[in-house]
Amino acid sequence: MRMALLILAALLPPLARAQEADRLKAIEERLNKLEGAPANASLSSFNPSLGVLLDVNYTHGKDDKGTFNFKTAELNIGAPIDPFLKGWAVINFNPAGVEVEEASLKTTSLPYNLTLTGGRLFASFGRLAHFHDDSLPVTKRPRSLENFVGGETQADGLEVQHLFPTPFYLTATLGAYNKLGGENGRADNAVARPLDHFTYLGRLATYADLGADHSLELGINSAWTPKRTMVEDVSVTGSPAPAISTVKGTWRTLSGVDLTYRYHPAQGGIYKGLVWATEVMQNNERRFDPGTRLPLDRVRAYAGLSAIEFKLGRQWRPGVLVDLTEDLDNPHTLTRTYTGFLSWWPSEFQRLRLSYSKATNNVPGSRENHSVALQWTGALGFHVHGFKDR
Amino acid sequence: MKKPAFLAVALALSTLAATARAAGKLRVVATTPELVDITRRVGGERVSVDGMARGTEDIHQVVMRPSFVTKLNKADAVVFLGLNVEHSFLWGLLDVAANPRMRADFVKTCIGPACIDCSEGIAVLDKPASVSRSEGELHPQGNPHYNMSPDNGPAIARNIARGLSRISPEHKEEFERNLKAYLAELEPKAAELRKQAAALKGLKAVSYHKDMAYLGRFTGIDFIDTVELKPGVGPTPAHLTELVKKMKEQGVKLIAREQHFEPKTCEWLAAQTGARVAVLGVMANAFPDTETFIRFSEKNIKALLEAAGKDLP
Repeated sequence: MRMALLILAALLPPLARAQEADRLKAIEERLNKLEGAPANASLSSFNPSLGVLLDVNYTHGKDDKGTFNFKTAELNIGAPIDPFLKGWAVINFNPAGVEVEEASLKTTSLPYNLTLTGGRLFASFGRLAHFHDDSLPVTKRPRSLENFVGGETQADGLEVQHLFPTPFYLTATLGAYNKLGGENGRADNAVARPLDHFTYLGRLATYADLGADHSLELGINSAWTPKRTMVEDVSVTGSPAPAISTVKGTWRTLSGVDLTYRYHPAQGGIYKGLVWATEVMQNNERRFDPGTRLPLDRVRAYAGLSAIEFKLGRQWRPGVLVDLTEDLDNPHTLTRTYTGFLSWWPSEFQRLRLSYSKATNNVPGSRENHSVALQWTGALGFHVHGFKDR
Repeated sequence: MKKPAFLAVALALSTLAATARAAGKLRVVATTPELVDITRRVGGERVSVDGMARGTEDIHQVVMRPSFVTKLNKADAVVFLGLNVEHSFLWGLLDVAANPRMRADFVKTCIGPACIDCSEGIAVLDKPASVSRSEGELHPQGNPHYNMSPDNGPAIARNIARGLSRISPEHKEEFERNLKAYLAELEPKAAELRKQAAALKGLKAVSYHKDMAYLGRFTGIDFIDTVELKPGVGPTPAHLTELVKKMKEQGVKLIAREQHFEPKTCEWLAAQTGARVAVLGVMANAFPDTETFIRFSEKNIKALLEAAGKDLP
């Protein structure tokens, strides 16, 4: 018995070591298999980031009538194309049909702090003007932006931006487009034009921290269209051929200044504080009779908005927006729109918004236009916070 | 502009430009205060470090300031936690920073030779089985709040040293010396904190957000639930009622509230259950005098011990 125990005691350590070695070998083999395994991804598989934004609302307004609106189902696709370029597309499905809202290429590696963006893009004019509808603080795009810009700053063209190598943030943007404004009916994207019929944009933007909790951003820009060709509609005027073609003196400038003040207290991050944004625009152009297309006088008209949104925490954001818009043909006619809104965010990807709007103008006998809207927005899929939409 | 004023402006601008480049310093931007601290310790005299988050805000909610854009544009490196925790600010900033060495990436947040991802090699916890948003705002790559555990400090420091050495190989030996010196301070401190935290082992607790996985593993605290209904989704009355019931059934006497969340809900929960609230930072600088990784870790362990009614050994 004693001998058996002695033999066992002598054999145990080598046995344990052998078992340990076997275990280590098994682990090593598994590790080699994992490291040597082929990658699951393939360059031929389409793996961009994909997101869909759904936006619906109910509006109740004029003549005490209401309607449910399917505003948009917006498909967002984006991916790097190569080490030097990225691309994205925003395809908008709405009651009017399907529209390519954006389809752009943007460089990622140019020298001298340059970035080039080309395709169908949202031009860098103003602040709210280049926000998609769902990102606006209000349910309906403000009148000043609808009338002066032509909706969003959608443009087919090219933009180059330079970030100055200064200690403070300062950018300059130059752009050239067929036209600026998705609903801008002054030009047709599909029709070729001479160089002096394009729209050219120049913008400077800067930023300053005012202590740890406050900041100010300032932008100044001007979009210039040197010429426009308008041909008389002889079917309306009844004039004999040739129709009068007007090119001289048809230059247009749409200029603006935007100022954004932010209060972001230390503890709140992006969910506490307030954003107060004010934008003023001037439109300077020779107007044309909408029916005859004969030239009228040159008109300088102004519009602006001021919106303040309070961030009370993760979920609640009340605010007000005041919009003042002169008529483009008759600047003496001023429309004032006052909007109060309350947004509730159950999560970062869902928002409900209630808004009330009152629009009045100074035309004798005109009626006030009241409307209430309830908006519901949800985002599926890919999600990042973009710099331009902050 | 008159000549003296012009000269003054020129002198000021050139001084500014020369400040960080003096003696060949690397310009580094780090996303959180503890990463700023560790980068300074590892980089030593070879780096000049700027931070982004202040420490008092939620890491998921850091404000995108254009002033960060200019810093990233000039930076030689960006140091970040990774695992997509900085998705609300870093991606957007890199997208416009025009720095070809660090580009915004949808998956890894930052891609390029100047990106120093501190999550490399971290044993990531809470990898979700499903990334459906019905489960809240999940981090698809796993729980990114590994910076809350003292024992992840060495891995962070090593990643930073490796990254800085890759970018500036001529100073590799110096970075490694600094790393060694820092680890000589950090590792015993982590061991000391682990010893202190031993008194917390086995305790059950709830936290406001699902960010305590690594701190729970370090301390042995079992975080059984969150005040939030789901990650990123605020508590509902029904959820709080269930939580009170759960806490009473399981004898949970500790609530960990992250400093940036509102206090009222946790105070109410404490009143309902007899639990005590420990207020913790999710980053350094959440509280005064916690600007370093070590002090941030010490403060959290102390807060947990106090709330649990355990004395410091």
